[in-house]
Amino acid sequence: MQRDVEACSGTDRTAIAQARTESLVLEYQTKLGRYLRRMVGDAEVALDLTQEVFLSAYRMLQADPQRELTAGWLYRAATNGAISFLRRKRILRMLPLDREIDRNTWRVDERSAASVDLQVALGKLPPDQSAALLLTSYAGYSSTEAATMLGTTSSAVRQRVCRAMRILRTIMREGME
Amino acid sequence: MMTSRDDCSAAQALAGAIALGEASDSERDRYRAHLAGCAHCVNELGGERELERVMAVVVQARDDERWEPDIRKALARRHAPRRAWSWAATFAVAVIVVAGFLAGEKKPQATAPQHTVSAKDVRAIAALDTQTAPRREGRAESLVVGSAVPVTTAFAVSVDQRGIPLRCSITKSSGYSAVDRAVCRAALQVHYRPPSHH
Repeated sequence: MQRDVEACSGTDRTAIAQARTESLVLEYQTKLGRYLRRMVGDAEVALDLTQEVFLSAYRMLQADPQRELTAGWLYRAATNGAISFLRRKRILRMLPLDREIDRNTWRVDERSAASVDLQVALGKLPPDQSAALLLTSYAGYSSTEAATMLGTTSSAVRQRVCRAMRILRTIMREGME
Repeated sequence: MMTSRDDCSAAQALAGAIALGEASDSERDRYRAHLAGCAHCVNELGGERELERVMAVVVQARDDERWEPDIRKALARRHAPRRAWSWAATFAVAVIVVAGFLAGEKKPQATAPQHTVSAKDVRAIAALDTQTAPRREGRAESLVVGSAVPVTTAFAVSVDQRGIPLRCSITKSSGYSAVDRAVCRAALQVHYRPPSHH
């Protein structure tokens, strides 16, 4: 088997990598895109970051067509991309050229009170807290699975979820007043 | 009852577990016991009901989500300037009246029939060609359209006995390699009148 893999020509590798990336895109682009849009608060940026994830998956598969790429790997890559984007944004915010993230990109049908509350809260959270909240309640992973993706313990994920919810609760209260 | 900072941080993890629906009965008991003695956490974190109510907002937002991201459409949109150029190139090629020298497989024919490459054929071919053409050439091409000067390309096609084109070569370049390539590609798509036998 190993020998077969080694015998793979460059064309085969590319074809396999393309086919596997294709199926990853079909299965995960909606989930990853939505997760990333919640993380960064902007649809265009989320699309860029989603592309980046699949691009690095493709590069990975081209180097090793048999490599297993789990949902965890994709979410980890997505989270890292979002965090580094948010970090850059925070640095650029100090410059006068700051461009506020466009809230109008949120379509009308998603402007439910819940959707807006959540997005406002997410905008105020440190990225590690929003990632913990979104990977669990939004993407549907357990705190243990999310912990693997974030490189921490499940107890830390639960704490971050709790802290994130504290902010969300404050915002909901403000909204009611 | 005094509570330490460690207790409160453990309570946060318990609150997170309750919100996520992961807490066991004993974990819920421990959380209740902590809240009973810690007014700070009652205020900061809230009871189980409160946690679940806040979590319901997140779940509701998730269920309201309608966005269907499509990274392929996004890629196409991002390359819009390039796509606009491909239409421009199509136009440029479509207005060309090409002088074609139809040649036999070995001996070139003396007569040189004029071929007008149909816009329909060329559009498909030019689009295909522009996908592979480097951007640098793309800019040059759009200049041709901008100045609205028709360009002429002369080409020779070798056909077999059935009139199927075998080879195309440019005998007089238009000066734009992308146009030349597109013309040759189009020329190879046409079925020719078979060469007459003497």
